[in-house]
Amino acid sequence: MSFIPGHPVTAVVQRIEIHKLRDGDNLILGFSIGGGIDQDPGQNPFSEDKTDKGIYVTRVSKGGPAEVAGLRMGDKIMQVNGWDMTMVTHDQARKKLTKKNEDVVRLLVTRKSLETVVRQSMMQH
Amino acid sequence: MKRAAVGETQSSVSAAEDLQTYSRREWKGNTTKSLLIRKGYEAIASEFNLCRVRGDNYCALRATLFQVLSQSKQLPAWLHDSDISKWAKEMHSDFITEWQFPFETSMSKLQHLEQCLELLKNKWQEAVQYKSLEDREHMCQHVFRGHDEEYELLEALKFLMLRTAIQLHSDMEKGSDVPEFCWLLFARDSSKCPKTFFTNHLRHVGFSGGLEQVEMCLLGYSLQEMIQVVRLYKCDTEEFITYYPNDHKNASPLCLLTEDDGHYNVLVPKKSSKFDAYGRPKWNQSSGGQPSITTCL
Repeated sequence: MSFIPGHPVTAVVQRIEIHKLRDGDNLILGFSIGGGIDQDPGQNPFSEDKTDKGIYVTRVSKGGPAEVAGLRMGDKIMQVNGWDMTMVTHDQARKKLTKKNEDVVRLLVTRKSLETVVRQSMMQH
Repeated sequence: MKRAAVGETQSSVSAAEDLQTYSRREWKGNTTKSLLIRKGYEAIASEFNLCRVRGDNYCALRATLFQVLSQSKQLPAWLHDSDISKWAKEMHSDFITEWQFPFETSMSKLQHLEQCLELLKNKWQEAVQYKSLEDREHMCQHVFRGHDEEYELLEALKFLMLRTAIQLHSDMEKGSDVPEFCWLLFARDSSKCPKTFFTNHLRHVGFSGGLEQVEMCLLGYSLQEMIQVVRLYKCDTEEFITYYPNDHKNASPLCLLTEDDGHYNVLVPKKSSKFDAYGRPKWNQSSGGQPSITTCL
């Protein structure tokens, strides 16, 4: 059993709980999103499937609430507080994340890693 | 003894420059590859600037060390509680005897490794004391100018990787839980155990070879850091951003960039990024000029 370069990697599911930072009237999460069913998926540098219209984390600010919670650039957001994010417009995604009465958002994200390739290979034996 | 002033030509890590400018200069033309690489640069250009790292086989270690010294807020627990120069004596003599240094030394290899480890701890302690960005930058300029001191620090990192590999292998043999990259590290025919890992891989790092991806995981794990690498040739795949290793929770990652998994450069946060130091967006608007929207939250 050996590592095969180029072999498809599989996703690890992570639960991320972000505690928003209050700044006056604003609640800050400290990351940016890209994607959505109304966006051009070809522009997304993080996805393999160029028809993937999911919501991706395009930036994470250093030391901000998202980074502290373990969110990483390139993560794909699958759910926010139980709401599906795989088939939403960009603006719908934004709204789900920035509800004024919610101090905490719980995300379900998927993330690719070198190690998941190993785990997959190990499971096959 | 005359010492030359710290100049650009001697520096092992360049001053920060704009990613877009660099990208357009280095990747002219419209081949599929150029377009892909430039797309990758553009994806992160508003958030980071680039510091070019001296392109020898130490570059991955050098880039990581640079980020450690310029960004650490405190001495890590594992370093704080240890007299790490003693670790050299604890190391099996076979490894010490075979160690390669990139410089001349009049002391024994053991003594020199002790010195390297001591230097790493001292430099790290010194770095975390500086509160201002300017002082940190000045310190890094002084360290990264291609003198023996820089290489002693890099050799210390290699030592830490070896020590960690030995520990992890021992844990694996006992059946204890180990991070997943360990399986990969010791699954290679050329590196079934720490001895062959050292003889065939680690001792050549800086000389005839650099770090493979699984060794980047070992480096990150040894330092208890997470190394975030933007891999430009993997743009448009899920490996565009890869974390080495992936399981270190709540770490502020050390950010590097590579076009090809061979040479590594350093990414520093852009001062004019959309977020200030507290993660507050400076303005809420779509990234101008790009066909797809990204929204700061």
